[in-house]
Amino acid sequence: MTSPVWQRRRAAAATLWQEFSRNKGGLIGLGFLVVVVVLAALAPVITDESGLDVITATGTPLQPPSWEYLLGTDVDGRSVLLLTFWGARVSLLVGFAATVLSVFIGTLVGITAAHFGGWLSAVLLRFTDFFLVLPSLVLAIALSSVLPKGIATIILAVGVTSWPATARLVRAQTLTIESRPYIERAKALGGGHAHIVGKHVLPAVLPLVLANTTLVVGSSIIAESTLSFLGLGDPTAVSWGSMLQTALGSGSVTAGAWWYLLPPGLAIVVIVLSFTLVGRALETVLNPRLKGDR
Amino acid sequence: MTTSTTSTTGTNTVADLDERRSGTSTPRFLLGKIGGALASLVLVVVLGFLLFRMIPGDPVATMTRDRPTSPQQLADLRERLGIDKPLWQQFVDYFGGLLRGDLGESYSFSRPVATMIGERLWPTILLVGTATVLAVILGLWLGVRAAWRRNSTFDRVQTGIALTLWSVPQFWLGLILLIATQGLFPSRGMRSPDAPEHFFGQALDIAWHLTLPCLTLLAVIYAQYMLVMRSSLLEEMGAEYLTTARAKGLRDDLVRRRHAVPNALLPTVTLVFLQFGMVVSGTVTVEAVFSWPGLGQLTYQALRGPDLPLLQGVFIVLAGSVILMNLLAEVLYRVLDPRVRAT
Amino acid sequence: MTVTSPLLELRDLGVSYRTGGQDVAAVKGVSLTLGAGETLGIAGESGSGKSTVAMSVLRLLPRSAKITGEILLAGEDVGGMRWGRLRAVRWSAASIVFQGAMHALNPVRKVGEQIAEPIRLHGETGTAGTGAPDVRARVEDLLKQVDLPVGKASAYPHELSGGQKQRVMIAMALACRPDLIIADEPTTALDVIVQAQVLDLLGDLVAERDIGLMLITHDLSVLASACRRIAVMYQGEIVEEGPSATVMGTPRHAHTKALAAAFPTVGDPRSRFAPATAAPLPPEPDPPAEPSALLSARDLRVVFRDRGGAKVPAVDGVGLDVFENEIVALVGQSGSGKTTLARTLLGLQRPTSGTVSYQGEAMPTGGAGLRAYRRRVQLVLQDPTSALNPRHTVYEAVAEGPRIHRLGGVQGDEHSIVVAALEAAELRPAETYLSRLPHELSGGQRQRVVIAGALALNPSVLVADEPVASLDASVRGEILGLLLRLRRELGLAGLVITHDLGLAWNIADRVAVMYRGKLVEVGTVEQVLLEPRHEYTKSLLAALPMGTARAAEPGV
Repeated sequence: MTSPVWQRRRAAAATLWQEFSRNKGGLIGLGFLVVVVVLAALAPVITDESGLDVITATGTPLQPPSWEYLLGTDVDGRSVLLLTFWGARVSLLVGFAATVLSVFIGTLVGITAAHFGGWLSAVLLRFTDFFLVLPSLVLAIALSSVLPKGIATIILAVGVTSWPATARLVRAQTLTIESRPYIERAKALGGGHAHIVGKHVLPAVLPLVLANTTLVVGSSIIAESTLSFLGLGDPTAVSWGSMLQTALGSGSVTAGAWWYLLPPGLAIVVIVLSFTLVGRALETVLNPRLKGDR
Repeated sequence: MTTSTTSTTGTNTVADLDERRSGTSTPRFLLGKIGGALASLVLVVVLGFLLFRMIPGDPVATMTRDRPTSPQQLADLRERLGIDKPLWQQFVDYFGGLLRGDLGESYSFSRPVATMIGERLWPTILLVGTATVLAVILGLWLGVRAAWRRNSTFDRVQTGIALTLWSVPQFWLGLILLIATQGLFPSRGMRSPDAPEHFFGQALDIAWHLTLPCLTLLAVIYAQYMLVMRSSLLEEMGAEYLTTARAKGLRDDLVRRRHAVPNALLPTVTLVFLQFGMVVSGTVTVEAVFSWPGLGQLTYQALRGPDLPLLQGVFIVLAGSVILMNLLAEVLYRVLDPRVRAT
Repeated sequence: MTVTSPLLELRDLGVSYRTGGQDVAAVKGVSLTLGAGETLGIAGESGSGKSTVAMSVLRLLPRSAKITGEILLAGEDVGGMRWGRLRAVRWSAASIVFQGAMHALNPVRKVGEQIAEPIRLHGETGTAGTGAPDVRARVEDLLKQVDLPVGKASAYPHELSGGQKQRVMIAMALACRPDLIIADEPTTALDVIVQAQVLDLLGDLVAERDIGLMLITHDLSVLASACRRIAVMYQGEIVEEGPSATVMGTPRHAHTKALAAAFPTVGDPRSRFAPATAAPLPPEPDPPAEPSALLSARDLRVVFRDRGGAKVPAVDGVGLDVFENEIVALVGQSGSGKTTLARTLLGLQRPTSGTVSYQGEAMPTGGAGLRAYRRRVQLVLQDPTSALNPRHTVYEAVAEGPRIHRLGGVQGDEHSIVVAALEAAELRPAETYLSRLPHELSGGQRQRVVIAGALALNPSVLVADEPVASLDASVRGEILGLLLRLRRELGLAGLVITHDLGLAWNIADRVAVMYRGKLVEVGTVEQVLLEPRHEYTKSLLAALPMGTARAAEPGV
């Protein structure tokens, strides 16, 4: 039985890829993501970390782009290119880790709220709605201002404030699946909670969760940069947000040091847009409801 | 022909067995929603209280972590904040104060938090209000046009712009606008000291200061509204009642205006209100960049401290206002959408 | 008026859709004529192209559709009309009563406005003006014509029942006094009694004002009672056309025969225990000496609470037995509580009071006991398409039950159980179906897979909720034949829930009639259907379209 099943799965994956690759935006986004992730992973290999140290920095402060410093220098005379390079690592790390946390909580709450009705569902739903409407950034600010500063705090703050949207989505999808007669049939066959959730609900919900995850990474990166910009980030690590914070704090804006502002900002826009494009493309491919409309 | 002659049959001519039941009555609905909102508000207060007292143990240490403090100063501070009392006592004091409109005293400004928030409320309302109204108009209009011509150049360009703006951190967009318009617009504050005294002059001066922050906020939130409106209308486009409308001989634009848009508008309007939290989050960074004297900048200043009583007060006021907007959205939705009244 | 050209003439109409770079023909070479005051029925199964024909008359097909041939509306070619002319013709020359009034009405506008909309638009065609009072008067007039209270004008669609919405659709169709009305499955979603009312209404209106009516449906008996002529469509073509009595009485094409046989006449001895199936039925086994009750319900009550908190009894004191080796048909309209009763019998719904027992033992309420109970009593659902997980292969779907109950611990055993179940459900050879996905099967095959999934547990009672309601007419007989064969060969008892009295006549031994949560009449099929005692049973029988009965009599 295994081989035809695997053949079918491989064929399904091929069809998915085919449909995905028809979406130009998604393909471009995916290309960018691969490049950025590879570069960020290789940063210690292809660049010299010592250039990040304020004390050993060689350039003069706020120098416009030149051959020596392709993107100019920051207030401490460090290469903006190098900083942007290394900033990617923190931004991506926080983006991914916070997303895993957020999607995990969201999926758990969503499926629980939809599957086991009754008071548990009512309480969870109320709770989800409460966190959904709360301004998540304000909550994240509150959280990261009382916890010790550091990357873990940022991950926690972003992760535990961004799950309600995922929970709503998963809950809605679970409810749709559970209203299908084949769930009734599985119950009549004698299937319990574990059977229904494991065999029917999860496999149907996971593709959407995947698409949603991609979108959450994007917003987590923005949230990270915002918190760092507000001075709540890890003071020892360079991230795109903290670069912009230093830029504003050191008067680079009034000085017109555009080379200091553009690279980290554009990097955020490119990476978030890429995640968004990939996520939307995945959504169209994986969500049968969206696929249906002409 | 036996048209309209007999109307003696009254109301019970139809023998259909499946008469629809009517939905929840309006007072019952209102009570339920207001009750829910109150519960949420209490939850916000509890959350605010716990957040700033319990994690991670000693708020005084957090507040003073960046400067040297003597044990005597710490003890004074504890007493001033009331955290030498047991937790339940603190909560009762805090809740009682809240009911009287007392949000405690700011640590770094030594002024009542409630007064400070009161001063900063109006600039934020002005900024958020202007940006939201403009964003709704722009977003809905563009969204309808894009959806109706799905996959046209207009749709592709507009969706592309919206997606890009959606990926932009607001504070960065603000910085870029500042640099790009160097000196064209004021870079900080809400008024200039030399503005004319009369009302018109003052208003013009404020509008002048408002331009950039408003534009920054607008850019990101209109994109959200546009994308929502677009997908909501796309969802309606396959609906069968649109075929009915076309079969009646309606022009294409009438089919859209009279049938498709009203249906698609309803979920969008609610979303606009539901995403009010996002707008509030946006103001924090935008106000910080442009030094707009509102609640967002106050948050930013409280973070510098960190001034926990102030932060807590701002948190409660912002979260509470979002919950009120949400309540408004639910009531409005019921007024607008006849279907909700029945379910 | 001297009529020179018929109301509607289709000349060699062909419609094809472009999908994936290929032209797929939906309608091929259809020629039809309909004159004033005539009624023409178009019969066909889903996918036969009948709705495409309806939509092509007013050029409402999606842009991907390519139309060949001519559509002449009162002599004027619809295909050659400019947009302005086409819009003027729409609704004023011909209007459509759409299938499923639920979705065809705009949910956020009052029905009165929706009826008034075409009047304002095409004002000049009516005798009344387009001023507000005139329009209002006309809307009230129309509502009266379709027997709706005038006050309903200010109701929203969701506030109306299915039958009322369909009446609104008809009122809307009459609004501009068109010469031609096209009704596309106008009664499909409606209950028997409401269906009869709507059909009567349509028939009266046509007779009164010389309107041409084109009635499209899959239910031949509906057409037979409402139309003078019938055209049968099959795979995009008209395979048979003629006066309804001829088409119904002496069908020539094989497909027409299948359609006609799918709706048997209650009381016709030829269709008693004889569903329209190609395979022969085994002979009736000897009845057990002393039949014992397998599944029994005693004083069963299920009470729901509506949103206002009021108690609504869905099942109200029901006592029912299903004996060995018999099929019981539970008949009733939607909302009568029959599905709730079925769910309660399966332990999917907890009864408020009363008991369900299997062979005299009360049904356990949970745990291993309930699971064991479910091995004995199995379920077949209405729509096989949604009753199968689209991601699971036939093998997985059938093996689901045995896996839950840990039957056949060894892989080989499970395989043989699945194959045996598929064979029993007449999917032969079973091996060719194992790795297929539901969407690769036809509706009838899917229902067989669902039945096989139940058979894999080797149950004694099968509870089938409208097992053929969503299947095409020609497959219906085969599935009913299967249920009958399973009873005769395996002694599998059945409780078949249906709104269709013909189905009961086809395969059931006994009938239980359910009305508003109560069983109003229980007895053998012959007793209940031929000599009904309760008023409700009588009204159900009276609402049956008469065509089938008439066609069965020789010489009509």
